[in-house]
Amino acid sequence: MKLKALLFSTAAAVLFSAGMSQAGPKIVSGPGAEPKCFAPWAADTKYLQWEKKKGPYKVAIVNGFVGNTWRIQMIKTAKAYAEDPAMKGKIAEFKVVSTGTDAPAQLGAIEDFINQGYDAIVTIAVAPDGFDRVIRLADKNNVVLVPFDNVLDTDKVMQVNENQLEMGRKWGQFALDELHAKGVKGGKILEVRGLPGNSVDRDRSVGINEVFKKDGGKWEMVSVVGNWDDGTTQKVVADAIAVHGKFDAVVGQGGSNGVIQALKDAKHPWVPIAGESENGFRKAIAAHSADGLKGISIGQSPGLVAIAMKAAVSALEGNVMPQLISVPLPVATYKELKDGENYWSNLPDNFFTVNEFPPCGVNISGPAIMAQNESNTK
Amino acid sequence: MESFKNALAASIRQSRAFYGAVALLVIIYLVYNILHPHGFSSAVLVQNANEMAAIAFLAMAQTVPVLLGGLDLSVGAVMTLTSCIASELVHGSPATILFGMVMTLLSGTAFGLLNGIIVVYGRLQPIIVTLATGAIAIGLALFIRPKPGGEIDADLNWAVTNSLRDLVETYHLFNPDAGWFAPVAWIPVPLLALLAVAVLVWIPFRKSVTGRTVYAIGSAEGAAYMSGLPINRAKIAAFALAGFFAACGGLYLAIQTSSGNADVMQAGAYTLNSIAAVVLGGTSLLGGIGGAIASLVGACILRVISFYFRIVSIDPLLQPLIEGLVLLAAVSLGALRTLRVKNNLDLFR
Repeated sequence: MKLKALLFSTAAAVLFSAGMSQAGPKIVSGPGAEPKCFAPWAADTKYLQWEKKKGPYKVAIVNGFVGNTWRIQMIKTAKAYAEDPAMKGKIAEFKVVSTGTDAPAQLGAIEDFINQGYDAIVTIAVAPDGFDRVIRLADKNNVVLVPFDNVLDTDKVMQVNENQLEMGRKWGQFALDELHAKGVKGGKILEVRGLPGNSVDRDRSVGINEVFKKDGGKWEMVSVVGNWDDGTTQKVVADAIAVHGKFDAVVGQGGSNGVIQALKDAKHPWVPIAGESENGFRKAIAAHSADGLKGISIGQSPGLVAIAMKAAVSALEGNVMPQLISVPLPVATYKELKDGENYWSNLPDNFFTVNEFPPCGVNISGPAIMAQNESNTK
Repeated sequence: MESFKNALAASIRQSRAFYGAVALLVIIYLVYNILHPHGFSSAVLVQNANEMAAIAFLAMAQTVPVLLGGLDLSVGAVMTLTSCIASELVHGSPATILFGMVMTLLSGTAFGLLNGIIVVYGRLQPIIVTLATGAIAIGLALFIRPKPGGEIDADLNWAVTNSLRDLVETYHLFNPDAGWFAPVAWIPVPLLALLAVAVLVWIPFRKSVTGRTVYAIGSAEGAAYMSGLPINRAKIAAFALAGFFAACGGLYLAIQTSSGNADVMQAGAYTLNSIAAVVLGGTSLLGGIGGAIASLVGACILRVISFYFRIVSIDPLLQPLIEGLVLLAAVSLGALRTLRVKNNLDLFR
């Protein structure tokens, strides 16, 4: 019986595919929808347009690795955003799976969702290559595939990310401006780097160093490697302080809680600090900005998943979309920090604060994610 | 007919674990297809076969050293290494593609052979040897492909990861809509590749003296030695065969992803999953009982369990927990035999 059913549906599928023309997005000229939110990566970024589909849509998230705070927060954000009034009516079905670091499993999951008739699939790719088959299948079935965060080396799909080079520049510029405001024209800057060999680490570091080089002041850059990890960062920053005595500013890419802790332990005077978006870092800025801890906090937000979902739905609605979307950097300086709004004194330190993207109408705040957490355990 | 029945009954009596695994697979796969909105279709079968292929090859690779009573911790690494090699070689003209595929399989086999030689002549435990050589394989893979990438022939990628019909259509072999072809056109190519390797490589090996010696070593190495069986040859052959199967997995992975990626974490995960698949198929980790086809079934069970997360709504953060529980339950089924042993000494078998 199974065989018979199989034969039947195969015959149907064969007929179907024979009658179907090559679908997929058309390359069109810009500008795209909501340019403030879906900003094109560069001036030469292509624009894509899919055939308009009737909603509500079936959307799936295919995550790879799971097990660090960032990924867990990302999954919770995705679930919260699917329940958001702006999205709820547009999504008929919503599923999240994590495949681990297993390329066949991730490709298989994507293909399975295509087979199940899902309209959009949002994914963090486990590898920058190897998605040719699923891209082809997605195009054939008019499914919108949206990689974000770890994106693919291809221009055939719509992708969402933050501009890491720009992030580095913003960090550097902030520290420089604060130093200039204090009248400091030269000195020692501590740069805390991330995971070596990673393109994100490279781009951020290039951005930071570029700014100081351009300034013309006498800046001595001291680089340590913190692996974006609080513990490692705390250790290397403490070592750097022990060796160099005093820094005029600290520009770090991650593990910002570790930077703060190391400065505290060494009784290092507060200086301008640039860092990621950990809640603990923002708490410290808010508490000590009057004492000289002039801080800026920018992060690779787990909320990117919400932008990717929004972009997928927008594409399904037939809007013109940039092929590579540069999500606006979520920046908060000591001037803008407000308890309960962009940091939470009652929430843990390792929580990533930036989830909200006002230009996109994405406002999944920390407490919303915590609420999601509670409803999961029922 | 009567004799066939008797033979089947005897076969079932002798390998309960294997038939239990087959029954489990049939049940969970049927239910999966019933729950799937497009169940029982070629597209779903093709997707499933694609996802299973690499781990199924790796489970077969792991089986051979396990039958000896050892473990091969390098299978995932050899798969990764060979997929990186394939990503360098498998493109260009048909002849160079074929050459690249043969070289990929040979390099994996050679690596396995090396494992076997070190185990036999170094008189070392397989688990330690393969832990070390696995690290070497990953090192070589990283050397060949420091960053993910490479190139695989696009037609090959499309033809091999689809149904037979697409294979015929891609290479214009004959009219893919011919009437006589329809009954088999839906069969996924990866499934055929798995079966071909199992039938053409594993079964002849198992029937050979070398193959039977592998089983004998796993059951009682001393007795095998006293019986004058070629112990060293069998051990070396077992590891070489494991290397070959792992290379099949690597080649398939490279074709499937059109690239190579020296992913250390993935290699580790595949090695561990290959051991789980071997156990699920009913092969004893003590050696001497089981077979590669059983592990193929075990690998399928392992994969089908994770398929369920895509059709049933389960909280994403609970999925690993549930997968672990189901796996534990499935493995425990194999231990049921301990409830019916007549003599406690049987437990040591």
